[in-house]
Amino acid sequence: MSGQSIGVASPVVAPRKAKAASGRLADTYLPRVITGVVILLAWEFIVRAFAPAYVAKPSTIVLAIPRVIVDPAFLKATGATLLAVAEGLGVTLVFGTVIGVVMGRSLSFDRAIRHYINGFNAIPMIIVLPLFSLWFGYSANTRIATIIFAAIFAIIMNVADGARTVPREYLEVARSFRATRLSTLFGLVLPASMPYLLAGIRLAAGRALIGAVVAEFFLSIGGVGYYILLNSRTYHHNEAFVGVLLLAGFGVGFELLVNWCTRYFMPWYRRGQS
Amino acid sequence: MLNTTLRRHAPFWLSLIAGIALWEIAGRSTSAAFMVPFSATLVKLWQLIQTREFLNQLLDSAILFSTGFVLALAVGMPVGMLLARVRVLRVGTEPYIMVLYATPMVALIPFILSIMGFGFVPKVLVVFLFAVFPVLYNTVEGARSIKPELIEVAKSYRSSEWALWREVMLPYTLPYAMTGVRQAIGRALVGMIAAEFFLSSTGLGQLIMTASQNFDTGGVYASILLIGLIGVALMRLGLKIEQHFARWRQ
Repeated sequence: MSGQSIGVASPVVAPRKAKAASGRLADTYLPRVITGVVILLAWEFIVRAFAPAYVAKPSTIVLAIPRVIVDPAFLKATGATLLAVAEGLGVTLVFGTVIGVVMGRSLSFDRAIRHYINGFNAIPMIIVLPLFSLWFGYSANTRIATIIFAAIFAIIMNVADGARTVPREYLEVARSFRATRLSTLFGLVLPASMPYLLAGIRLAAGRALIGAVVAEFFLSIGGVGYYILLNSRTYHHNEAFVGVLLLAGFGVGFELLVNWCTRYFMPWYRRGQS
Repeated sequence: MLNTTLRRHAPFWLSLIAGIALWEIAGRSTSAAFMVPFSATLVKLWQLIQTREFLNQLLDSAILFSTGFVLALAVGMPVGMLLARVRVLRVGTEPYIMVLYATPMVALIPFILSIMGFGFVPKVLVVFLFAVFPVLYNTVEGARSIKPELIEVAKSYRSSEWALWREVMLPYTLPYAMTGVRQAIGRALVGMIAAEFFLSSTGLGQLIMTASQNFDTGGVYASILLIGLIGVALMRLGLKIEQHFARWRQ
C-alpha cells in the first residue's frame, strides 16, 4: 500500500472506552460543576473582601443580566457588532478562499505573494487602526476594514495549505478522466480543502471578533466593545461584564458550530481528538 | 542549475520590487495625508531610529513583552502538565479553559484599566492574559496524548513523580507546548500593543499613537513598518523554535 494520504499530524489518543451514563456523570460532569462552583465562589469572595463595590462579581452580574438584555442600547450594540463581523467575515471568506486556492495551486503565485501574506499575518493587527482611521475615517467602514484585515490572512493561509495538499492521485484520476479545470476545482480541490477552510474560519472568526472590539474601543463607534468601554468607564462593571459574556458566547458558539460542521459535513475527516 | 535557482527566487524578488514600486507610485500620486511613498517612509524610519526617545520606547515595549510572555510560559506550561497528569482537574477545568481561550481578551481591558489603573502591572496582566491560554491549551493537548504505556513503564521501574515529569512528561510535551509558544508570541505582541494603546501610552504603541495624533502620516507608516518587521522576526523565531522541538515528535 504505497498510496499514503497526507493529513494533518494529530496526537495519538488512547481510545475512550464507552462508559455507562452514570459513570460519565460522576466522571465528567461532577468535576466540571464543582470546578465551576469553586471558581464562582472564589471570585465572589475575593471581590467582596478586597475590591471596591463597583467591581463585577457573579451575584451582581446575574442580577444585571435581565436588565441588560432588554436594554435597547445593548441590543443595538449587539446588532451592530454582529452585523459588522458577519459582513467582514463574508468578504473575507470569498476573497480569502479565492486567493488561497490560487496560491495553493500555482507555485509561482505562491512564491510571489507568500511573503506578503506571512508578513501581514505577523503584524499585530491593531497597529493598522491609526492608519485605517486615517483612510476610512472614524466610522463603521474602518471597523469592517479592521475585521477583514484581522481575519483574511488566516483564511488565505489555511486554504492555500488545503489546496496544496490535495492528494496527487486524485488529481491524476481527474486528469485521466479529462476533467476540465473548472470541474477539477469545484469537484476536487475545493471539497478537499474544506477541512482546512473550516479550521481557517474558526481562527478567522476569533480574530474578527477581536478586530471588531478593538476598532470600537479605538474609534468610539457603537457596538458591544464600545458598550463595554462606556459602562466600565462609568463604573457599571456588572452591565459591562454582560457584554463580555456575550462576546465569550459568540466565540464559543462559533467554535462549536465549526466543530459540528466538520463532523456533520465531513465525516471522513478526523482530527486527533474525538 | 542557474535556471532553477532563477525560477525559484525570481517571483519573490519581482513581487517584492513590484510591491515597493506600487507603494511608491501610490504614495506619490495621492495626498501626503493618506499615503506616504516608500522612500519617504524609509527616510522617516531612519530619522526615528536615531532618536534617543525611540530607544527608550523600544526598551519599554521589550520589557513589557518579555515580562508578560515569560509569566505566561511559567504559568501555562506547569499548570498544563499538572492538568494533564491529574485527570479530575483536567476534566473539571477543560470547558472553562476552552471558553477563556475563545473569549476575546481585549474585552477585559476596560475592566483592568478601571480597577488597576495605568501602571506597569496592569499592562503586564494584559500581555499575560493574551499569551497564557494558547500555551496552556496546547500543553494540555500534548501532555494528555502521552501514551499510557510510557507512564506505566516509568512507574513499574519505580520512578518518582519528579523523575516521571522530568524524563517523560516534559520531553514528550515540549513539542506541543512549542506550538502554543509560537501562537503566544503573536498574541502577546497584540496584547502588548493593545495595552500600550488603551492603558497608559508607552513604548512602540505610543510611537504610533503620537504620530497619528500629530497627523504625521510618515511617522505612522514608519512605525507600522517597524512593528511589522519586529512581528515578522518574532514569528520567524517562534517557527524556528517550534520546528526545532518538532523533531522530538515520533
